[in-house]
Amino acid sequence: MKRWWIWMIAGLLPLQALALSGEEVMKKSQAAFLYPGKDFKARVVMKLINKDGQERVRELTMLRKNVGEPGGEQKYFMYFFQPADVKDMTFMTYKYPAKDDDRWMFIPAINMVKRIAAQDRRSSFVGSDFTYEDVSGRDIEDDTHAVEREEKIGSRDCIVVKSTPKGTDADFGYKLTWVDKANFLPIKEEQYDKKGTRYKLFTADEVADIQSIPTVVKRNMKNLQSGHRTEVAYLKTAYNLGIEDSLFSERFLRQPPRKWVD
Amino acid sequence: MSFSLVEFSIRRPKTVLLLAGLMTLLFLTQFPRIRTDTNPKHMLPDTSDVRVWNDEVDKTFALYEDTIVVGVENDAGVLNRETLGRIARITDGILALPGVASRDVTSFTTITNVTADAGTLKVGPLMPAAPKTDAEVEALRTALFGNTLFVNRVISKDGKTTAIYVPLEKGANGAEIADKIRDIVAKEKGPERYYVAGDPVARDTFGAEMFKLMAMFSPIAGMIMFAAIQYMFRNLALSAAMMGVSMVAIVWSIGLLIGAGFPVHIMSSMAPVFLMAIATDSIHIFNEFYFRYKERGDKLAAIRETMTAVSRPVRYTALATAAGFAVLLFMNIIPVQVFGGLIAFGTVVLRLLSFSFIPAVLTFVREDRIASAAGSESVEGDRTARALGRLGAFGAARPRMTVAVALALVAVSVWGTSKIHVNNNLVAWFKASSEIRVADTAMNQALGGTSLGYLVVQSKESEFMKRPEAMRWIEGLQRHLETLPEVGKTFSVADYVKRINRVLHDDDPKYDAVPETKDTVGQYLFLFSMSAKPSDLDNVVDPVFGKANIWVQMKTWDAEAMRQVIAAAERYQKANPLPVTVKPAGIAYFNLVWNDEVLGDLLRGFSLALVVVFAILALDFRSLKWALVAYAPLLFTILFIYGVVGFAGKDFDMPLSVMSTLSLGMAVDFAIHFVSRLRQRLAETGDADLPGALAWTAARPGKGIMRNAVLFAAAFSVMMFAPLTPYVVVGAFIVSMMLLSALLTMLLIPALVMLGRRWLFA
Repeated sequence: MKRWWIWMIAGLLPLQALALSGEEVMKKSQAAFLYPGKDFKARVVMKLINKDGQERVRELTMLRKNVGEPGGEQKYFMYFFQPADVKDMTFMTYKYPAKDDDRWMFIPAINMVKRIAAQDRRSSFVGSDFTYEDVSGRDIEDDTHAVEREEKIGSRDCIVVKSTPKGTDADFGYKLTWVDKANFLPIKEEQYDKKGTRYKLFTADEVADIQSIPTVVKRNMKNLQSGHRTEVAYLKTAYNLGIEDSLFSERFLRQPPRKWVD
Repeated sequence: MSFSLVEFSIRRPKTVLLLAGLMTLLFLTQFPRIRTDTNPKHMLPDTSDVRVWNDEVDKTFALYEDTIVVGVENDAGVLNRETLGRIARITDGILALPGVASRDVTSFTTITNVTADAGTLKVGPLMPAAPKTDAEVEALRTALFGNTLFVNRVISKDGKTTAIYVPLEKGANGAEIADKIRDIVAKEKGPERYYVAGDPVARDTFGAEMFKLMAMFSPIAGMIMFAAIQYMFRNLALSAAMMGVSMVAIVWSIGLLIGAGFPVHIMSSMAPVFLMAIATDSIHIFNEFYFRYKERGDKLAAIRETMTAVSRPVRYTALATAAGFAVLLFMNIIPVQVFGGLIAFGTVVLRLLSFSFIPAVLTFVREDRIASAAGSESVEGDRTARALGRLGAFGAARPRMTVAVALALVAVSVWGTSKIHVNNNLVAWFKASSEIRVADTAMNQALGGTSLGYLVVQSKESEFMKRPEAMRWIEGLQRHLETLPEVGKTFSVADYVKRINRVLHDDDPKYDAVPETKDTVGQYLFLFSMSAKPSDLDNVVDPVFGKANIWVQMKTWDAEAMRQVIAAAERYQKANPLPVTVKPAGIAYFNLVWNDEVLGDLLRGFSLALVVVFAILALDFRSLKWALVAYAPLLFTILFIYGVVGFAGKDFDMPLSVMSTLSLGMAVDFAIHFVSRLRQRLAETGDADLPGALAWTAARPGKGIMRNAVLFAAAFSVMMFAPLTPYVVVGAFIVSMMLLSALLTMLLIPALVMLGRRWLFA
């Protein structure tokens, strides 16, 4: 009876938080954020905005097909519309868990498909503030994950997970992710550098139900040190279109079928 | 006006001293609020054109104002596993330092490399981790020397030196970070040598050293002056009075400066020494007092007579000095204005004290002490006075020859002056053996250079820089700049485009060129941006490709080097017209503007002071003719010294130009004393014996002048032992200037007076 207050506090805590470890939260989050549906298509408009508000636009169609279960292999196909001089450029990625991606790029001006080494997943994606990892995910096993606390963001109840890289090769010290308890989408993420200063801030600014799958359709990544940020909007989003496996080939990299890229 | 103040001070000496003490305490209360600013860069305000423009360029191209360059040198070559391991560790250590812009540090482990390996394009860090096998080392060697972007930037041609470029966040202190980097490299044991160089290190170290030197030098100069006065007058009270006067003036001036909310800047940090120098003018009072006391034997009467005799010259020398510095108030650069105002105020305080504090102290001097010390003070009985008298007599007896010799020297000096080279080089302010200079020299020998400037190529049209003709134009400009001996390395967006073209075509050297179409350029750069660090492209082109930034590394911090880069760019632009403008930027450009602005301001101030001082002379003597005569020694001294500066090939830099203003304020004092006292003497004794009066003036007030000059020179001679070259030069400059102008006053004025006798006394 003396310990009645412990039981009271325990009773107040939401059950789910007690039930899930940090790693489980991040796994669920990865599945909800990067793996929903069998395949996925979106017209992506990226605005790269510098400190002074100067904008550059990247516009592309992104196609994704899951090969296996969430956390497993994926194939990405991207067709660029903007900037004008890169129109018709295409980019393809085979993403493997625990292994370097395979990447290819088609350069129309010299009519050449080139394989591109993916030695650095932390490098910028098309000059934006998103890294390849931010776009297509980081292996859950690369970090240790711990539930820090629970916190509300707006009206959303979130679990805050701290992820710390196991190895020393990562360019960040740790990151905090606010995962929505309702749909497991990351609502906010803060990346801290090795000096422990917060330097990158991700926010999911709009979540919409697409074919009843909660999808982040507006997101923002800001580099707090340089003041540079990238706004991303997903338009014409659709799931489970039945994208053929053959699309992800050099042949279609050179001549992508209209129906998929428009 | 001053008469009553002197009387009051003699009657109520204690009150006067008490008042002075109280006032001093009042100003002292401001001292705890002292703020210092050791950054010479702040001589130009945030709003100055060059700083606004440089900030804009930094923003457009995501650049940093300041970069430290860390050199690693190994005589056996840096490309071995041990050294590379150290470089990786050191880079990691630097990345963790606060104040370092870690994301843009350039080192083997962070610099982006573009290569093709078995048909795969690789864009990523050159050396993600230290190589573990010799084969990896060899691969790194091939990568380094196969890429023109690296040679002379991160690797020397002989492979013995590499550099880590460490950009600093705004407001970080270069000297402090340099110290931390030195700690990091000190942990590594091995055959490597490490160098920490770059403008922020030199600048912040210089600023800090300057303060330290001033804090150390001012008291030493004070003590030397104290000892010299003690030797001259053999009376502790007098020596203490003299020092007291300068201390009081320093405390009041600096107190006012702090109280008014100004930071003590490197220029104002020189104020104590300047004020101490100006305070030596009081020596004329003591000098005359000793002569008068010897003649009268009555202390109070001697004080009164002394003050009457010297009041006019002392007042006018103060006016001339104060005015000489006050003109700086009308200059453009704020620290120059503050400095001018500060010294002008201090000079006024000094003179106020000359007519109150000093007579008050004189009343306390024990008569028996003066009597013994003043015993030898007579024109006849004193060897120095006799020698000076003979000097004046010589000038008076051989006026034509004296003036002719002087004019010949002036002609030679004018020629020498024409050889003067205006230049500023912050790193050269350190001695050749100093750590900073050694590091800079070594780095500049091995690599492209530690001094960084930019040339911003601007078009009105966005996307213009993607055009092949623009790319080729930029490339051509780079090759043109690289023909200058001072330019060690340049790089631009064209280098990336060429590199990608070559790599995509199986490293075929034929493709080491700008491609034919704009789309190709655009697609290459897009491809590059898919994997490179964002800053790689940001540093060389603006987001809309309307502007390109060419990095120019120079092997010297001479302001002149950047001037030549700008001139070369202009020539190239003329020979190869393209609808773009080229504007310089960067720290090397800032140093050039700083050099021109600060020096220009000081020189303008100096010229204006020359005019003002002449006007004051004319006012004092109520005669343009006498003003001209008194002006001659001053003008000649300045010409002689600048002539020597010109012949010696010494750059005319900031420290020298500051000293010019001081020289003016001081050298004119001698002439004022001489001419005033000469005319007083003539009024007392009649015009009959002009040569006699000249000899007397040279001997008696002349001794005061000589004492003043020696005192001054003695104090400043300490500077010649300072570790920073500007102090050495300034010390030598002041010593020779004081002695020369004293000598010229005693020799040249008598000659001119004799020559212009009819004209002057008409």
